[in-house]
Amino acid sequence: MSEILIKNGFVFDPLNNINGEKMDIFIKDGKIVEKVSSKAKVIDASNMVVMPGGVDIHSHIAGSKVNAGRVLRPEDHVKDFEVKTKVTRSGVGYSVPSTFTTGYRYAKMGYTTVFEPATPPLKTRHTHEELRDIPIIDKGCFALLGNNWFIMEYLKEDKLEECAAYVSWLLNAIKGYAIKIVNPGGTEAWGWGKGISHLDEEVPYFNVTPKEIVRWLCKINNILNLPHPIHVHTNNLGKPGNYVTTIETMDAVKDLSKNGEASIHVTHVQFNGFAGTSWLNLASGAPEIADYINKNAHVEIDIGQVTFSDTTTMTADGPFQYILYLLSREKWVNADVEAETGAGVVPFRYKKSNYVNAIQWGIGLELALLVKDPWKIHMTTDHPNGGPFTHYPKVIAWLMSKKAREKTLNKINKNAKRRLDLPGIDREYTLYEIAIITRAATAKSLGLKNKGHLGVGADADVAIYNLNYKSLDPSKDYKLIKKAFKQTAYTIKDGEIVAKNGEIIASSKGKIYWVNSKVAEDIQESMLNNLKMKFEEYYTVKMENYIINESYLHKSFMLNVQSEV
Amino acid sequence: MEKIINNVVCTVCGCCCDDLEVKVKDGKIVEVKNACAVSLSKFQNYNGKERIVKPLIKENGEFKECDLKEAIEKASKILAEAKYPLIYGLSLTSTEAIGKAVELAEALGGVIDNTTSVCHGPSLIGVHDVGLVTCTLGEVKNRADLIIYWGSNPIFSHPRHLTRYTVFSRGKFRRERGERKLVVVDVRKTATAKLADIFIQVTPNQDYELISALRMAVKGEEIYLNEVAGVPTSKIEELADLMISCEFGILFFGLGLTMSLGKSRNIDAALSLVRDLNERTKFLIMPMRGHYNVTGANEVIAWQTGYPFAVDFSQGYPRYNPGETTTIELLTRGECDAALIVGSDPIAHFPVSAVKHLMKIPVITIDPHRSATTLISTVVIPTVITGIEAEGTVYRMDGVPLECKKLVEPPLGLKSDEEIINEILVNVKKLKE
Amino acid sequence: MSGLILTLKKELKVPLDASIISPTNLAGKTMDEVKNLELWEGNKKVKINEIFHVEGENKEEDLTIKLVGDFSKARGLGFKMSGGKLVIEGNAGLRLGEKMKGGLIKVSGNAGSWVGSEMTGGIIEIEGDAGDFIGAGYRGGRRGMRGGKIIVKGDCGVEAGAWMINGIIKVYGNAGIFPGIHMKGGTIFIKGNCEGRAGAEMKDGKIVILGFLPSVLPSFDIDDIKDSVKVEEEKISGPFYLFTGDLNEDGIGKLYVSINSNPQLKFWEEFLERVI
Repeated sequence: MSEILIKNGFVFDPLNNINGEKMDIFIKDGKIVEKVSSKAKVIDASNMVVMPGGVDIHSHIAGSKVNAGRVLRPEDHVKDFEVKTKVTRSGVGYSVPSTFTTGYRYAKMGYTTVFEPATPPLKTRHTHEELRDIPIIDKGCFALLGNNWFIMEYLKEDKLEECAAYVSWLLNAIKGYAIKIVNPGGTEAWGWGKGISHLDEEVPYFNVTPKEIVRWLCKINNILNLPHPIHVHTNNLGKPGNYVTTIETMDAVKDLSKNGEASIHVTHVQFNGFAGTSWLNLASGAPEIADYINKNAHVEIDIGQVTFSDTTTMTADGPFQYILYLLSREKWVNADVEAETGAGVVPFRYKKSNYVNAIQWGIGLELALLVKDPWKIHMTTDHPNGGPFTHYPKVIAWLMSKKAREKTLNKINKNAKRRLDLPGIDREYTLYEIAIITRAATAKSLGLKNKGHLGVGADADVAIYNLNYKSLDPSKDYKLIKKAFKQTAYTIKDGEIVAKNGEIIASSKGKIYWVNSKVAEDIQESMLNNLKMKFEEYYTVKMENYIINESYLHKSFMLNVQSEV
Repeated sequence: MEKIINNVVCTVCGCCCDDLEVKVKDGKIVEVKNACAVSLSKFQNYNGKERIVKPLIKENGEFKECDLKEAIEKASKILAEAKYPLIYGLSLTSTEAIGKAVELAEALGGVIDNTTSVCHGPSLIGVHDVGLVTCTLGEVKNRADLIIYWGSNPIFSHPRHLTRYTVFSRGKFRRERGERKLVVVDVRKTATAKLADIFIQVTPNQDYELISALRMAVKGEEIYLNEVAGVPTSKIEELADLMISCEFGILFFGLGLTMSLGKSRNIDAALSLVRDLNERTKFLIMPMRGHYNVTGANEVIAWQTGYPFAVDFSQGYPRYNPGETTTIELLTRGECDAALIVGSDPIAHFPVSAVKHLMKIPVITIDPHRSATTLISTVVIPTVITGIEAEGTVYRMDGVPLECKKLVEPPLGLKSDEEIINEILVNVKKLKE
Repeated sequence: MSGLILTLKKELKVPLDASIISPTNLAGKTMDEVKNLELWEGNKKVKINEIFHVEGENKEEDLTIKLVGDFSKARGLGFKMSGGKLVIEGNAGLRLGEKMKGGLIKVSGNAGSWVGSEMTGGIIEIEGDAGDFIGAGYRGGRRGMRGGKIIVKGDCGVEAGAWMINGIIKVYGNAGIFPGIHMKGGTIFIKGNCEGRAGAEMKDGKIVILGFLPSVLPSFDIDDIKDSVKVEEEKISGPFYLFTGDLNEDGIGKLYVSINSNPQLKFWEEFLERVI
């Protein structure tokens, strides 16, 4: 098959400790290899930066709530559209792009793997239908389990092994990749229009607490040896003072770390990093959270950066979305899912002049800059909650250049600027560190052995950026940084050039990753027997129809894991 | 040879009941359990005398049988040459087929629309302005103690709705009928109204006024009038109290609201009412989607184009404006010059002004059965029946996706919608080069 | 008159995207340049001179364009224009004067729906009838016209001034239901009858109805009886019932309804005493 030789680029491959070395990368049959023949196509990457393709660990790109966002906002699409070409389908963007446009735009930016972080199991067939229609990039989805009735009941009855078997069965049934927890217990309380405000509060009727749910699922994650830690959107999102809940949640699973590895991934921490007691005195809780992360090895986070634009918030945190509606009086979609979870969508505009939004902007950056180890940080905007993923280059520029931050700091609400620690932070991310937080660390966290690096055997997913590393002063030249990360010189996916200078030149179908965990047959069988009765009582579909066949995924990548039971 | 296929998804109405048991003997369906009367009627009659088994092309006013290749070539030529072709129907097939139809509309530079335009289009338009506070049907089954049907008569339109999902269902938190209240608002005492604990008769075309008054009552504002829309104010206030004091209420609404005076603004008002009720209690709303995959059509068209129906690709990218790009209006203004109808019978159902234009332009129909629309078509391509002769994905009225099974083989030579549309697409692409 | 005259060469069958036809777009171009401008006819790109005879002379500024023919299928005439005059001798299609910023549009016949959608300035005058959603906005945008004036000498359809923020709409004939729905500001004047639901869900703004209005929504309060009301600088004689609402949106909009044309509304007077 086709061979490519990427010549003379400055390579950044943190998983293999390569830090800007000028070297060649060899591609054959869709993989990185040691060498190629003279027939290989040569890409001259002189004076360019070569990185593994971006791996986005948390971006709302597919499924029921995303589509609800699309339907809610025709006015969002009308201002940003893509005309069809010989190679590409047409579509629309801005904050809730259509599926084809999503794949193309990620590819143009050099991203080659993206995970949908919140799929309600009952509706995951919908998520897969959309993922199938997102071209080029590899994908997967995380299953929402933090408000699942069966899990809460297993927890109450202390049936750990049986619950592990249930989670294993469920991930397999819906072809999910990881355990996602959103507002544990809180979204179930919202099923009655109620809320949960601290970790030891009991969920109505189920009488378990958020802390217990998080610990329980963390244990199950360990038992099943799932590739990614529990992925947690903590309680009290969006509430002043919530950084305390965030740290408490992190602390709740400290003793459950396996081999010193992360036992929890806390997501879009910006939204959960508020200090202060009201909107008027809102402050950044990033220093406290960063301090905790610096002292504890078992936590990793993604930041959920705000980028100051008109965007669309969407989460499985139904009650939070209602509060956002009350604050903004915007349009509001709510979609509770039986026995499982909920969802909410509310358009939102982040303004530099708004005190709260400006503090939020500061929190995201402070988190990334104050946590010392970049391997614990993943760069996200929680697309589209903090801003569309097409704004990632802005975030990279802010992280790499104090000057870029200052430019924005001078435009934001003055009280917020005074309140934030950010102006006094000098740290600037290096390209190596950017490579870590946008691909190496995320791939490692997801347990994707062939992604996020350019070692022999890795998938040939490569991003070549028009950045003259040697002559670059990122601190000053942040505009060049932004420009370079907006569109690659080349994006290569599975060894094929798919994008060149902002144009998609070839389209393809990406793979859908899912985890096939196996538990002992007798435990599985006994779990299923007990499950059948309850299943049909709680749901309105038959168990057989809940299950999604692998053939549904069109291009499936099954990751086998062996559980402890 | 006899076999029983369990957990079959019914492909008639938006309930998408998935507990049907179908007995197949010698390749034919001989018995169906758990199906309602409407569903049973489909299973019993789908292969009747109206079934078309050979493609037809109209020449000199007469239909001639032809082979599939010829029919597809003729259809492709008509569509490829059109300057503003329309693809319509699509609510009675799988999302896989509809997705292909979107691709075809894009290749043609035409408009793709589905039956939403004549049904719950106003609901979607209302959602664009207000949003939608909703849930899946299991939430209703498990939690609802107040169920309202407004302008909807499920006993006729969605026969198992009450048993599977609402007042007669058995949920985790509501075990008995007595734990729930049923309210029906309609212009006449329908079969569903006869089962209601409270029936409110609204004067036809005054639903908006009634919702307006209800919103006032929920807000605690005084209504000066003694009566609104034929309903005594005291009764309106009673209903408001019921709504505020329930634990979990749900408002189902149908064409009584979407197609009476006010249309999308009736829905706007209902959506706003339910939204505002959430300041007092848990309250949700759900449109009673009619066809078994009209919801799916909106879903797939939306994720592929950004817009849920009425998408215009004439300039190479999706554009949407109901009233401008919707089928009835396009036809009434006489703007389309060719049409592909998939699984629908617009000649029988559309307003005369739209029908008149549809009869002037070349029409290609893909349908398993003869209809008024196939009668006036230039090309008729028979197809298989989704959910019986072909598998495919469908979306229940609450957005829950299900996979339909293939139960029996179709008559020889028939292809699925997806395959036929794909073949037209391949031909069209060649012609356009 | 000096200016450009575009006469339709043939009957429009499929929709014409006519959004390039505005004085702002055509001003200062040579005749050849104008003739070679491209527009969409259905899914095909055509040149101006394939659809129109082009005559007259162009100007740098303040251009007048006269359009002759039936433009019912021409969408978006006068799109985003900021000056000059667009005169249509015939009917105009959908979205006439969409996003207009300034200048004048005159139509001798009827106009389709969405006249002056999201306009911010300028004047649109329709001699005949107009369709639905005049002065409104795009679906989901929740904002309509923000300035300028729309005058319809005939009737208009439903939802005139939906989500209106500012500006003036004057309808001398009758109006369909829901004028001023979700209105936030501006003025709507209806000389003829209104089919109903005036000011539904309005938050602010002013609606004046001289003709028959079958009923007023239950979410409105009767405030006062007024002798007259001002529309632009003109004093319109009443007497009027002054209603405020829509209370369901905590609205403080004002709905003036002619007393003489509406004896069926007399019962509202008994509620006047209740208002404090």
